Amino acid sequence: MTDQTLTPVQSPPSIRLRGLVALVTVLAAMLLLPVAIGDEFIYHIFITMCIFAALSTAWNIVGGYAGQLSLGHAIFYGIGSYVGVMLVGMGISPWIGMFAGAALAALVAVAISYPCFRLHGPFFTLATIAFLEVFRVLALHFRDVTGGATGMMIPLNIGWEWMVFRERLPSLIIAFGMLLVILAIAWWIRTNRLGFQLIATRERESAAKAAGINTVRVKLYAVAISAALSAMVGTFHAMYLTFIEPASAFSLPFSIQIAMFALIGGIGTVFGPLLGAVLLVPITEFARGALGGEAIGLHGFVYGVVLVLVALFMPNGVMGLVSRFFDRTKAEAPGQAGAIAKLPAQPEPDDIPGPPKAVPEPGDEIVRVVGLDKHFGGLHVTNNVSFKLREGEILGLIGPNGAGKTTVFNMISGFLKPDGGEVSVRAADGGWRSPVTPADYAAIGVGRTFQIVQPFAAMTVEENIMVGAFHRHHSTDDARHAARQTAERMGLARYLDAEANSLTIGGLKRLEVARVMAMEPRVLLLDEVMAGINHADVLRAIDLMLSIRDTGVSIIAIEHVMQAVMALSDHVIVLNSGRIIAEGKPNEVVRDPDVIEAYLGKEFTHDA
Amino acid sequence: MEVFLQVLVNGLMLGGLFAIIGIGLTLIFGIVKVINFAHGEFLMVGMYAAFLLTTALDVHPYTTAIAVIPLLFVFGMLTQRFLIQPLMNARDDHIQIFVTVGLSTALINLALLVFGAEFATTPPSGLRTALEIGPVRVLVGQLVVFGAATLLVVGLTLYLNNTQFGRAIRAVAQNRAAARLMGINVNWVYIVTFGLGAACVGLAASLIAPLYPTSQTIGTYFVLIAFVVVVLGGMGSITGAFLGAMVIGLIDSFSAYYIGSDLREVAVFTVFLLILILRPQGLFGGRQTLSHVS
Amino acid sequence: MMLEVRHVDAGYGATTILNDVSLTVDEGEVVTIVGANGAGKTTTLRTISSLIKPTSGSVLFDGEDISRKGADEIVEMGITMIPEGRQLFPDMTVRENLMMGAFKKSARAHQADTLEEVLDLFPRVHERLDQNANSLSGGEQQMVAIARGLMARPRLLMFDEPSLGLAPIIVTQVFEVIDKIVATGATVLIVEQNVFHTLKAADRGYVLENGAIVMADKADALLDNEHVRKAYLGI
Repeated sequence: MTDQTLTPVQSPPSIRLRGLVALVTVLAAMLLLPVAIGDEFIYHIFITMCIFAALSTAWNIVGGYAGQLSLGHAIFYGIGSYVGVMLVGMGISPWIGMFAGAALAALVAVAISYPCFRLHGPFFTLATIAFLEVFRVLALHFRDVTGGATGMMIPLNIGWEWMVFRERLPSLIIAFGMLLVILAIAWWIRTNRLGFQLIATRERESAAKAAGINTVRVKLYAVAISAALSAMVGTFHAMYLTFIEPASAFSLPFSIQIAMFALIGGIGTVFGPLLGAVLLVPITEFARGALGGEAIGLHGFVYGVVLVLVALFMPNGVMGLVSRFFDRTKAEAPGQAGAIAKLPAQPEPDDIPGPPKAVPEPGDEIVRVVGLDKHFGGLHVTNNVSFKLREGEILGLIGPNGAGKTTVFNMISGFLKPDGGEVSVRAADGGWRSPVTPADYAAIGVGRTFQIVQPFAAMTVEENIMVGAFHRHHSTDDARHAARQTAERMGLARYLDAEANSLTIGGLKRLEVARVMAMEPRVLLLDEVMAGINHADVLRAIDLMLSIRDTGVSIIAIEHVMQAVMALSDHVIVLNSGRIIAEGKPNEVVRDPDVIEAYLGKEFTHDA
Repeated sequence: MEVFLQVLVNGLMLGGLFAIIGIGLTLIFGIVKVINFAHGEFLMVGMYAAFLLTTALDVHPYTTAIAVIPLLFVFGMLTQRFLIQPLMNARDDHIQIFVTVGLSTALINLALLVFGAEFATTPPSGLRTALEIGPVRVLVGQLVVFGAATLLVVGLTLYLNNTQFGRAIRAVAQNRAAARLMGINVNWVYIVTFGLGAACVGLAASLIAPLYPTSQTIGTYFVLIAFVVVVLGGMGSITGAFLGAMVIGLIDSFSAYYIGSDLREVAVFTVFLLILILRPQGLFGGRQTLSHVS
Repeated sequence: MMLEVRHVDAGYGATTILNDVSLTVDEGEVVTIVGANGAGKTTTLRTISSLIKPTSGSVLFDGEDISRKGADEIVEMGITMIPEGRQLFPDMTVRENLMMGAFKKSARAHQADTLEEVLDLFPRVHERLDQNANSLSGGEQQMVAIARGLMARPRLLMFDEPSLGLAPIIVTQVFEVIDKIVATGATVLIVEQNVFHTLKAADRGYVLENGAIVMADKADALLDNEHVRKAYLGI
């Protein structure tokens, strides 16, 4: 099953080239059009466009990559504005002030996000709105510092040093420069380790943790970067407007607008927010200019309606449309047939493993579990569970549903804190450690799969495995290389370019194992990797597990498929109602009357 | 002491107001699992409707409930059917947030277009008259709001537990897929639930209109508080929302008196953030909530 | 013919899973669909239940095309599916769960009688009537799920992987219950990984591979079939 050749999967160069040309054209137009036209109002529109595109791109690092929909981003913009203006008042150039604002915004962002990241989806959004409200009210309250409701004017010192100009062109150049820098940062994040980790965290937080990602930390990086960039734009915008007040600096509609450009362009894509701003800002600014006082509220109404319509009919934004167009051209290109996601269901005769190979003698202990206890409410889920895993051993963990098997797994991978007892793992250097968090466990070399497969849906098979590979590798190229090797070994090489979602259940289970294998674990925890896969796949999976073990990895496997348990395990533990009721060699355990009574049932005795 | 009592009663009355707005929100969240960011604008629409009807027909503001409740019920049903339902299966909840945020933005600005920036004052019809009960004073209208909120909580709880359709609503909240297999028309349950949640706001609108001047931003103010109430009570818990409303009413009233009225929002939101962070399931949220999200 | 699936194509979004699937179930028959995971067995049941709509072809019940009806109408007509993974209402009592089983109009009237009949079949469920569903063990939950399906007094009962994720001893119990239901003369369409046991209980079977029916025969004939034995029984 490793006969598939490794095919490099990347967009054909012609498509990438076309994308690049389009991007350069758009950017060049943003700078050159206003210069060519030379009209004040046009300049204003393009500067506004750059500012919104920059803010929206910065927002997208949190709202898109990390999937934390903030509607309070004006907090950071506002901090940047206020800090910039206050420092200018003290005679400090905004070029320095913007970094001070950025630093403060990053600090505030980390301080308020750290607790809020425990909240998901709409709850996080609500918390950001509440924080925004608090900042606005505080800015109004502390008049002495902020000028209160009357706001603050900047002193009119003209010149590059003060970011204030008589002409519009220098402002445009600064706005455009900031946009370029922010775009470059967003692009760099998306194509590197941090971006993969953020998107993995967004897609499945638990699976991301299992892949060794410190999910809270990467999200804090994202929010700090995003807040700092937003604050820098805020400083410049304040200099451009020459006036700030709490109502506009800490404004909810403004925050919504920032997020809206990203949605319209394509949330989570690098250039979507840019596209959203380029498309929408001119329309609304012209409308505002043309209708102005006559129709107060009209442009807001239009924004609202556009938001609803885009969400309903174009949820992937303009970039979604663009990439669908590219996909079509790609599918038509010869030799680029769409990935076939179905894995072969029938076993080839030579796929069926022969009798197990000579089992190497298990080595020294690598995991020690002593007296694990866990209560859920009144329920004693695990009761004084102790066992040991030796190097190169396969330990089968069986028992009826609700016996506490998965709970044990969660406790020996850091997903659940035991109420009592201890887990220690021997590190590669030979010392014994007691890891606490999933990231600790991953770092020491314990990898796990989940009973219910947890693919990162928005990623391809290759990217899914890369998330695991990033645990050992820092550069994208190394991770990609490692992921491809793992894929080949796991028989997934043909599906590298397929969306993870399009795999069959057997394929997804294999992907789950592949992602963990890419982390190069020393101990592998497999939670029912055979459940729900057909007989032929069970045989392949047995073969695969044996080959993994032969590379020196120690395995603990929860299984219901007794055929697999019998064929694989060096040692079997039977759990019932949270207690170990039997353990030993597989053949002994299945004859144990307690095990037959509690788990196997009488029927099994005839089959066995 | 008398001041303390007065502040306490003010807080409870305010609580009644927050409760009557929060109940609909928590119902929609508990069943449909969507946070309606336009909930406050539903209230605004209801209050403008109550204002228009009261002044045009020269009737008691409470009479307008006969029209405003069905109006909001239908408005809620349409929102669910045409805005939320197409997105029920969206892969992430961002899109649902954007839809209701967009609806909220559109409604606020529509109101601005139609009514301008001035306040619309519904005739009070004696509802702003103060009653002296012992040492404290309350407005007639506030007492009515408080009573209505209490009745609404009792009524909805009875309805959800003791009628066939009420049980179907709970079934959908607990397991949508299984409910469908029982022969429950899940989409219809969602539409009716959204309608019910909006109708609660309709009732609130008719009762509040004579007490507060209506403006296009009134919804934003009340709904942020209503969110606090709902989170405090445990998302999806109706009695929880009522208790949460009382707590927030008291915090609002006491902080306004003892800290300063411009910082009472800070007090309320600080509590909100603390609750969200320390006890996301809410102060009163436990197993009995309708939802299984948190 | 009670149920007739005619040349159905179906899938999710852009992915087609079923490819020209045809099958029939006659009154009083027990029919099983055998196939690898991902072959489209559950999709077939979901199509019959109208949880997904076929992109072409039709589903006939008593000769009437039901493929465009809503899922609730299908239940009303007498087709009930007992879903994979139990799917109880966790915060309702067992009794309330069973009452939800009789939600459809035609079953509501006989609710009390049906409950008695069903509880005779499930003494363990009887003991737990007033407990919350989420306090039951996995095996008990599966029993409640089956009992809840029977509460609808279905004319056609469909099982989707009733033994999935259950300990071997519970699987045996679940099959005992299914055998009892079959013995009452019920019309049953069952999808199950435990091919050996299901084929023994069934009258006829279909083999589904990659979304297409590749074989249809009497159940005992399939049990003897070389391909079935090799691919699905591991013999």
